[in-house]
Amino acid sequence: MIEVTNVVKRYGPNTVLNNATFQIEEGQLTTILGPSGCGKSTMLRCMNRLEKFDRGRMNIAGVEVLGTEDKKLTAAEEKDLTRRLRAHVGIVFQNFNLFPHLTVLGNAIEAPVTVKGLPRKEAEEVARHYLSKVGLSAKEEFYPAQLSGGQQQRVAIARALAMEPDVILFDEPTSALDPQLIQEVARMFRALDDLGKTIVVVSHDMNFARRISDQVIYFEGGHAVEAGTPEEVFGRPQKEETRAFMRSFQDEDEAGNEADASEGKVEEVADKGTRLSLGQEE
Amino acid sequence: MKHIISRAVAIFLLLLFLPAPSFAQSALERVRKNGELRIGTDATYPPFETAEGGTFTGFDIELGEAIAREMGVRATFINAGFDGIFPALQNGSFDAVMSSVTITPERSASMLFSEPYYDSGQLIAVRQDTQNINVPDDLTGKKVGVQINTTAQYDLEKRAGVQVEKYNTIDLALQDLQNKRIDAVVGDAPVLKWMIFQSFRQLKTVGRRFTDEKFGIALAQGSDDLRRAINAALWRIEDSGEYNRIHEKWFGEAAERALAQTTGGGAGSRAFNFDLVRRLWRLFLSGLWLTARLAILSLAFGLPVGLLLALARVQSSKILAAPAAVYVEVMRGTPLLVQILFIYFVLPSFGVNIPAFWSGIIALTLNSAAYISEIFRAGILSIDVGQMEAARSLGMTYAQAMRRIILPQTFRRVVPPLTNEGIALLKDSSLVTIIGLTELTRTGQELASRYAAPLTIWPVVAIFYLLLTFPLTRVAEYLERRWRPVTRS
Ligand SMILES: Nc1ncnc2c1ncn2[C@@H]1O[C@H](COP(=O)(O)OP(=O)(O)OP(=O)(O)O)[C@@H](O)[C@H]1O
Ligand SMILES: [Mg+2]
Repeated sequence: MIEVTNVVKRYGPNTVLNNATFQIEEGQLTTILGPSGCGKSTMLRCMNRLEKFDRGRMNIAGVEVLGTEDKKLTAAEEKDLTRRLRAHVGIVFQNFNLFPHLTVLGNAIEAPVTVKGLPRKEAEEVARHYLSKVGLSAKEEFYPAQLSGGQQQRVAIARALAMEPDVILFDEPTSALDPQLIQEVARMFRALDDLGKTIVVVSHDMNFARRISDQVIYFEGGHAVEAGTPEEVFGRPQKEETRAFMRSFQDEDEAGNEADASEGKVEEVADKGTRLSLGQEE
Repeated sequence: MKHIISRAVAIFLLLLFLPAPSFAQSALERVRKNGELRIGTDATYPPFETAEGGTFTGFDIELGEAIAREMGVRATFINAGFDGIFPALQNGSFDAVMSSVTITPERSASMLFSEPYYDSGQLIAVRQDTQNINVPDDLTGKKVGVQINTTAQYDLEKRAGVQVEKYNTIDLALQDLQNKRIDAVVGDAPVLKWMIFQSFRQLKTVGRRFTDEKFGIALAQGSDDLRRAINAALWRIEDSGEYNRIHEKWFGEAAERALAQTTGGGAGSRAFNFDLVRRLWRLFLSGLWLTARLAILSLAFGLPVGLLLALARVQSSKILAAPAAVYVEVMRGTPLLVQILFIYFVLPSFGVNIPAFWSGIIALTLNSAAYISEIFRAGILSIDVGQMEAARSLGMTYAQAMRRIILPQTFRRVVPPLTNEGIALLKDSSLVTIIGLTELTRTGQELASRYAAPLTIWPVVAIFYLLLTFPLTRVAEYLERRWRPVTRS
């Protein structure tokens, strides 16, 4: 589904992505984990073409992207590439970047109407569907500034979902939220997983990664050091870099265990086949 | 007075641009064919030339009409500020200038003059209580007011130690003298006498005329046949006694008494004259209407042009961004006055002949667009880059993101600075007086000198400007309220 092969990205003399290589299976939730400044956000932005990379290859949902040094694109080709890529890939930013001049509903229908040319009525139906999934039906006439941080994030998710992408990228979804909300985000990701979306989350929060991921990729120095299930990466890390990073988080492990326990309950609820909900209705 | 100095510089620059006019037909042929003699005049100089709502009166006016009649054509007077009147003559805006123009060697070098039609001379005016100024030599070390670009200015500038203060119109110089900000005023004897008699009773003239000056009708170079025709007409008028009749009407003893009665005995300079305002309010209104049309149309065109310039500058292609940047640099870096003069006076020599009103609109539009574009550009740049990224990540094109996401947020931010620009534009529109448009400020100039009543006229002009800016700020307030970004209440 997603194949990243030897991707290199430089800012001037600074090599930020250095032969990054990894794969992500369709429908999986993958966390890219790593220390600050290792190039996680840059990786994510390259996957959405908000940044171009210099060398290497990416294949995302069937769209092939090559490094700018490997293949020069004309302006028209570039436009076509980003259009095709972004039709498949949505992103939820760290600070959400909601459109402050539009209501919650307006945020969610803007792109379907202007990009897909959906009739307004139809776009509203789709948007309401996803707003109810994130539990924000009651807030559709609110403006972003009138919402809490957690609510804003859910609007951003609904906005991305309304374009019905196959892949959703999340940059640091927990960093702007207080600890109680993190659990709710985890629940939301599980539910997104159930929608069949392929999800890539960038985080440096180890506990969060352990709880929600099907796959964890440990990133350092601009490339994927190690990839595997949470059990493999956290339980039996193969590389010294990974082990060092784990050790630095030792203190927080206890908190992580508690969270693990509560996560069990969430899965129980989902298993019982009650209706899918990404958040609590308010 | 900086304003006036920049004007003088602007006109000097402009004269460098002006090529010698080359008319296909001779001046006289043109006048005969059109059946009209177009005469430029700065109608702020009683008793020679004044205007009231497009009706001209004065000695020069009646003489010009008599000359035209002798030539078998009709006279059409065109109002123009004195500092722009000679460029306008050269560029063909009119056939002749009759505006109390003294014949000087300098002026004769760049234009033609008819035979002299009036003997004038400079006279000194001081306050009633001034004792120590009687002859020109007494002016050394004193502050002396003159009307800009007049022979009075040139004469005083040759005298060492005289501090020359220049005014747009002579009534303002006299007002300043009365207010004790300057020590004396020098100007054409009949005008000073008329003004003092009318309104400035605390002033007096002293001594005798200390120059001999002759007024002539100024013509563009190459108008030799027109000059011969005008001279012939002038001689016939003198022979027939017509000249004496007109002279007696404007400068005879009866004239001064009659004038005094029509203006209510010269309370003008000392107190606010309600009667005058009641009689003249329609004229202010038509000046206001012209100012409003100039400002509103310029703003209406300037906003979209400014927006396009801003959009050209914020996008990534240099092909569009660089010319837009150069345009803004040039338009902001040159005085609006020069731009107005360029469009009205210089473009015709390249075959582009735009009427005064539209020249004014175009100049104000092009100028304000540069400032407006910077307001829009700053507004666009103030929107978080995350907004563009979020829009693009959802699949919007750059243009869609700009139109749907960035600009709507920009507009609500730029309303206050745009209001500022609109008000500035409204006031800047007064600069078009130089190409003879009688908008609000020019109306004020004409009436203030016509009635020698600056203290009545200028406050009224100010109030009429307020009448324009007031609705503008109300509209801006409304937009700001409507577009107020929603925040936590
Ligand atoms: N636009 C840019 N220009 C130059 N350097 C940049 C730019 N964006 C990122 N970098 C550099 O690239 C490196 C990786 O940045 P990136 O944002 O991808 O890190 P990160 O792994 O997401 O870190 P964090 O966990 O702190 O968010 C950093 O050293 C950063 O300074
Ligand atoms: Mg980051």
